[in-house]
Amino acid sequence: MKQCAATARQLGLINCHDCHLLIAAAEVEAHPRCPRCGAHLHLRKPNSLARTWALVWAAIVFIIPANLLPMTVATTLGTKQSDTIMSGVIYFMQTGSWEIASVIFIASVFVPFAKLLILIFLLLSVRLRSTWRPKDRTTLYRLTELVGRWSMVDIYVVTILVALVKLGAVAAIEAGPAAVFFAAVVVTTMFAAESFDPRLIWDVIEEKV
Amino acid sequence: MTDRSHTDPQAAEAVIQSKRRFSIVWIVPLVALAIGGWLAFKAISEKGPNITITFTTADGLEAGKTKIKFKDVEIGQVESIMLNEDASKVVVTAKMIKGSEPYLTDQTKFWVVRPRISGGSVSGLGTVLSGAYIGIDGNKAGSPTHSFTGLEVPPVVTIGQPGRHFILQAETLGSLDIGAPVYYRQIQVGQVVSYGFDQSGKAVNVKIFIEAPHHTKVTENTRFWNASGFDVTLNAQGLKVDTQSMISILSGGIAFDVLRETGPGAEAKENETFYLYADQNATQEKKYTVRNYWMLLFDESVRGLSIGAPVELYGIKLGEVVDLRLEFDVDKKKFQVPVIIAVEPERISSAKKEEALKIAKTDPESFMKVLVEQQGLRAQLQSANLLTGQLMVNMVFLPDAPKATLSRHGEYRVVPTIPGSFERLQEGLSKIIANLEKVKFDQIGGDLQLVLKDASATLKQFGTLAKKLDTETTPKMQATIAELQKTLIELQRSIGKDSPLNYTARNTLEELAQALRSIRELADTLESRPQSIIFGKEKEVHE
Repeated sequence: MKQCAATARQLGLINCHDCHLLIAAAEVEAHPRCPRCGAHLHLRKPNSLARTWALVWAAIVFIIPANLLPMTVATTLGTKQSDTIMSGVIYFMQTGSWEIASVIFIASVFVPFAKLLILIFLLLSVRLRSTWRPKDRTTLYRLTELVGRWSMVDIYVVTILVALVKLGAVAAIEAGPAAVFFAAVVVTTMFAAESFDPRLIWDVIEEKV
Repeated sequence: MTDRSHTDPQAAEAVIQSKRRFSIVWIVPLVALAIGGWLAFKAISEKGPNITITFTTADGLEAGKTKIKFKDVEIGQVESIMLNEDASKVVVTAKMIKGSEPYLTDQTKFWVVRPRISGGSVSGLGTVLSGAYIGIDGNKAGSPTHSFTGLEVPPVVTIGQPGRHFILQAETLGSLDIGAPVYYRQIQVGQVVSYGFDQSGKAVNVKIFIEAPHHTKVTENTRFWNASGFDVTLNAQGLKVDTQSMISILSGGIAFDVLRETGPGAEAKENETFYLYADQNATQEKKYTVRNYWMLLFDESVRGLSIGAPVELYGIKLGEVVDLRLEFDVDKKKFQVPVIIAVEPERISSAKKEEALKIAKTDPESFMKVLVEQQGLRAQLQSANLLTGQLMVNMVFLPDAPKATLSRHGEYRVVPTIPGSFERLQEGLSKIIANLEKVKFDQIGGDLQLVLKDASATLKQFGTLAKKLDTETTPKMQATIAELQKTLIELQRSIGKDSPLNYTARNTLEELAQALRSIRELADTLESRPQSIIFGKEKEVHE
């Protein structure tokens, strides 16, 4: 607690989201804008928890078809083969390509699920006014934000494959319906991470103290 | 801590103001839910039944990849392949699409489509590249089930194809295989669907399918025969090679036809049973139910006569040779060849067929007796084919043949025989030669010499005669001719143009003409003046 520094709010200051300029709260009007970059100013992101929850729920719904439906439909000499994300991972594992299998697994399975779990964990901890290791939780949040865009790797791989493997009747790869849902998961989790205000983690501690 | 007292009341208020209100962001999870719900509904509503199929081998099958296709339309996919409890079979679990339930009955057949080369056809070539798939022949008729036993070979007929199935009973399968063609007049009209032992295990049941519209050709009088491969026959008629088609040479085949004598009869029903004859001839032979056996005793060579050789009367087949052997007659110390022939009286047509058949069935012996003893029926060996030297039995009527009776030899009645035509020819020739030998050619030569001597003497006499004629007769003849000439000249002179005879005759004729003229004048006068004969010629009045 003693390590706990005062928040900007305690000091009557508002931090701009975009350019991180500190502005005295007294100067701010009803609909304040940053004098430097013109961004909207809030002490805390408005409606942050509700927005994050909504997007997290959407992501949870989307992640189910994303994993159950086929990601790619490969046609080789008339034989169609549909692969979901996991069946692709298993295929690469069985054929001995551990590296590719682990890359796909981490990028397409582990990361999206981890992101969602972290967000849920953060949301719940804020909701339950937990004071448990706020610094680590913040680190987790930053990690989530950072890694978010990389979970699009799978989509990139699919798009590249679709573009590359177009040999007519001999071999062709098409994107499966899961691709759309997977992209939706990535986008919604990114927005969810974006809409979550990590300062809420600290607010509880501030209040308790 | 001192900082806290500086807390801006306005800021604190701002926190309170940020009360919970319905955020538009919640539309996002709602939309997601709607999509997810729709997907879930679709997945559940499209979920078809899971079935298990038992195969002996999973060759070519792959879990999660192998498709199940009905008429080449994908209607399911293999989910897993496992061994059964005792590892004797492979149990394939497959997920079918919705709507396939009606076809999943105990009549439905499953088989693995692999590249297959059988007798006449190559099938499943497409699976060389794409891998095997499971074919299904859905059949709505039957009780629904979800566990099946897969066939090892694809069934030939897909259900729903118009036509009819028939069952053929055969002693052996021959070279028939599933898919072997069935021919009607050498046109393929169907194929072998399946085969197996019959219930007793002594015969083979071959199931065939005849496609519409040819199935109506199969009637109650239809005869099926095995048309497999070649049928090479070397008999009295010569060499004969018979086959239906190249495919049937390779993979066997069945042919059928209707007996010409009986007519087609009523159409055969589905699954009606027929007998499968070994070959086409067998179908023809079989119809003669009455067979009368007779014995022929030959004491000449029967080389070239074989079992099955025809027995003919007037060149028409009556029956065949069924047995021949060499026999030694102990009493007579004599070898002979008894030949048993079977005569099929039904081959002989008759206006009173019923009656004739009755005789043939009940009392053929007395009938034969009449033929043999009164009409002179005899049997002889005859060359049927000069090229191959085949012999056959020819029945002939020889009314002036030496008398013979219908005797008995063992269990058979013996029809008397006469030497064969070839033998008789030989006999005749030898007779001629023997007679020729009797002629005394030496004596004939001596006689001829004597005759020639006489002839030369005669000729000499002729010569002297001619000389006489020349020297004596000819001069006299010449003198006679000269005198004749003289006589003719004199005759010419006496009655010639200037001869006195001629002159006198002319005068006489002239006077005669004058006399005749006078008579005419007199006649005219008398006609006009008959009175002149009394009063005489009167003077002309006008003068």
